[in-house]
Amino acid sequence: METTSTLEKSLRFLALSLVVIFFMFPIFWIFLMSFQTNETILQIPPSIVFTPTLSNYAALITGKLTTSAGTLDIAFMRNLGNSVFLSVTSVALSLVLGVPAAYAFARHKFRGSEDIAFTLLSFRFAPPLLVLLPLTQYFQWLGLSDTYFGLIWVYQLICLPLILWIVRGYFEDISADVEYAYRIAGHSWFATFRKIALPLAGPGIAAAGLLAFIFAWNNFVFALVLASADKQPVTVGALAFVTSSGIQYGQIASAIVLSVTPTLALALYAQRYLVEGLSLGAVKG
Amino acid sequence: MHDKEKDLISAFLRGSVDRRGLLKGLGTMGITAATAGTLMNMMSTNAQAADFDWKKHSGKSLKLLLNKHPYADAMIANLQNFKDLTGIDVKYDVFPEDVYFDKVTAALSSGSTEYDAFMTGAYMTWTYGPAGWITDLKEWINDPEKTNPNYAWNDFLPGVKNSCAWNGIPGGALGSEDAKQWCIPWAFEQNNITYNREMFDKAGVQVPGNIDEMIATSAKLQKDIGGIYGIGVRGSRSWATIHPGFLSGYANFNQKDLNVSADGKLSAAMNTAESKAYHTKWVQMIQESGPKDWSTYTWYQVGTDLGAGASAMIFDADCLGYFMNGGDNKMAGKLSYAAFTANPEAKASTPNIWIWSLAMSNFSKDKDATWYFLQWASGPEHALFGATKMDFVDPVRQSIWKDEMFREKLNKKYPGYVEMFDASAAGASIKFTPQPLFFDVTTEWASTLQKMVAKEVPIDEGLDQLAQSIDRQLKEAGLG
Repeated sequence: METTSTLEKSLRFLALSLVVIFFMFPIFWIFLMSFQTNETILQIPPSIVFTPTLSNYAALITGKLTTSAGTLDIAFMRNLGNSVFLSVTSVALSLVLGVPAAYAFARHKFRGSEDIAFTLLSFRFAPPLLVLLPLTQYFQWLGLSDTYFGLIWVYQLICLPLILWIVRGYFEDISADVEYAYRIAGHSWFATFRKIALPLAGPGIAAAGLLAFIFAWNNFVFALVLASADKQPVTVGALAFVTSSGIQYGQIASAIVLSVTPTLALALYAQRYLVEGLSLGAVKG
Repeated sequence: MHDKEKDLISAFLRGSVDRRGLLKGLGTMGITAATAGTLMNMMSTNAQAADFDWKKHSGKSLKLLLNKHPYADAMIANLQNFKDLTGIDVKYDVFPEDVYFDKVTAALSSGSTEYDAFMTGAYMTWTYGPAGWITDLKEWINDPEKTNPNYAWNDFLPGVKNSCAWNGIPGGALGSEDAKQWCIPWAFEQNNITYNREMFDKAGVQVPGNIDEMIATSAKLQKDIGGIYGIGVRGSRSWATIHPGFLSGYANFNQKDLNVSADGKLSAAMNTAESKAYHTKWVQMIQESGPKDWSTYTWYQVGTDLGAGASAMIFDADCLGYFMNGGDNKMAGKLSYAAFTANPEAKASTPNIWIWSLAMSNFSKDKDATWYFLQWASGPEHALFGATKMDFVDPVRQSIWKDEMFREKLNKKYPGYVEMFDASAAGASIKFTPQPLFFDVTTEWASTLQKMVAKEVPIDEGLDQLAQSIDRQLKEAGLG
């Protein structure tokens, strides 16, 4: 049996600690900043000792931001709500459309199936700005400009190809014999899909959904171009603290903490599915 | 309201009683300043309405695209007066500055009819105007049917007003006879010195009078104060590095960005002997007394460091120094202002300016109603409200700069600001040559400055290379 010396253990612990500190320090520092005023954040030299304040969180939650130019209205909580709504509904719609499509691409070979699947994937290749300007015009003609419905539709460019391709790989990895056995027992195609394929592909679908959610949450440019200020997600809203009359570092930090929390919590909760789903679905062999 | 008070305010609005007389009179009637302000707004609205058919577009609706800025805040705070005056409903979208121009460009380039008017910088209209995205406003300004008689177009500072007008010909003079008024100046920034009084007193230095003194003063401040750097200027790879202090000092030596030949061809002008000498001094100043990571410095870092006491002075926008002198900034109340004449032989400073302006979208669904908003928002009443009650600095109207209450407000909290303005306003204008490659030229210029400061290229060689590259680009674009 292989044994590890105390020295090796210590060095390994030290190396891991350094890596953790390196990656976690910015997050830790942002967390500390979120409880400080601009004055303490900007003091020279920076100090880890300070009197904590909840004023940054209070400003975000009440929507009133006090700056050198007076009190400003901020819509951060609305932005946060928009992000949650847009991401959740977009991913839900993508799952409804993408999972059956992925199953069809995995199980049924039909003419043009690869071309269609590749076309859907190609949505991920297009630079967003290239697509967005013509889309703005189409949206105006269709009356979808500045609507949540229009935004959720456009978010399918992010979510649908991701879900479709990850879940497709996952369906392909599941042995078709299990499904055939169920069909021979007299069950319909849809019952087989619902009772056999879906439960077996569960981790893959969860992983794809999570990834799509993270991508949708981090999106910036779609809502910026296609919607008015009241429908902007948190990625745009967080920039409101960088104003001509000064940068509100404390509020930026607390905004980061608040906006990262949902995705972080979701990722921590489901990280096992995330890794398992990705490794089984996306990598064949 | 009692008749006496009404009469007094009306007399003030007619100009027969001055502001002091008005306040004194209202004081004796037992009216507080806050109530007086409300009455003034009400009476002012009535006075405006008496001279012009402000209700012509009543019932209509407009939508504005605004940048998150104190100027927009001032307008929003006063917007109800416009609605009451005209009966026009106004909606607005406010976007953070970081993404604001992306939003504007996307809206205009896609021909969106969503926004009727928007905030812009004059430089941006050099792209928007020739592209047909914005409207020449002269048609409305010169039409007495559409513009109220009290608008006083000639009240605008000439250098500022002209900087927003261009004939669309690359190299064409700003404000020429055939120029189109692409936007209306709203409020502007002159680039001068804002300095930390305490640090200057501690180091025993005076406000620098020219570029050599600025180099020496910055170095002495950095050495004597300790833990700070001498002077804050911008340094990121962007047009915004060239346009503030750097170009203001450059123009003071009568140097230009581009030459315009008799046949209208453009060529680079930044590799003259005088330009090389100025660049040498500027680079030396940053190397000796600028921030360590100067090449990342934008408006935000320059201002934040001054407000936090990390720098002793800035050569940047005066209103940046204005904002840093208030709020929760550590140095609030300790900053002063001075005009800066880089050239020892020049008689006055020649600040390049940034002008936050209002433009009308060419895709607006109702241009006449939009003009009603534009003339109100850039009119004398709103300018006075913004300047005296909000942070609408620097106002673009000469009458506001003559207003005693405004001057008093500045003198009380912003020492030297009024003198700074008076000393440099006459020479304040856009010093760039208007042309479509503006952003390419200035970005490459900033990049060259970065290389010089990093000692990657000697000044002479760097400027020669820059001039060659710009000449090539101008030729390729058919401009050179």
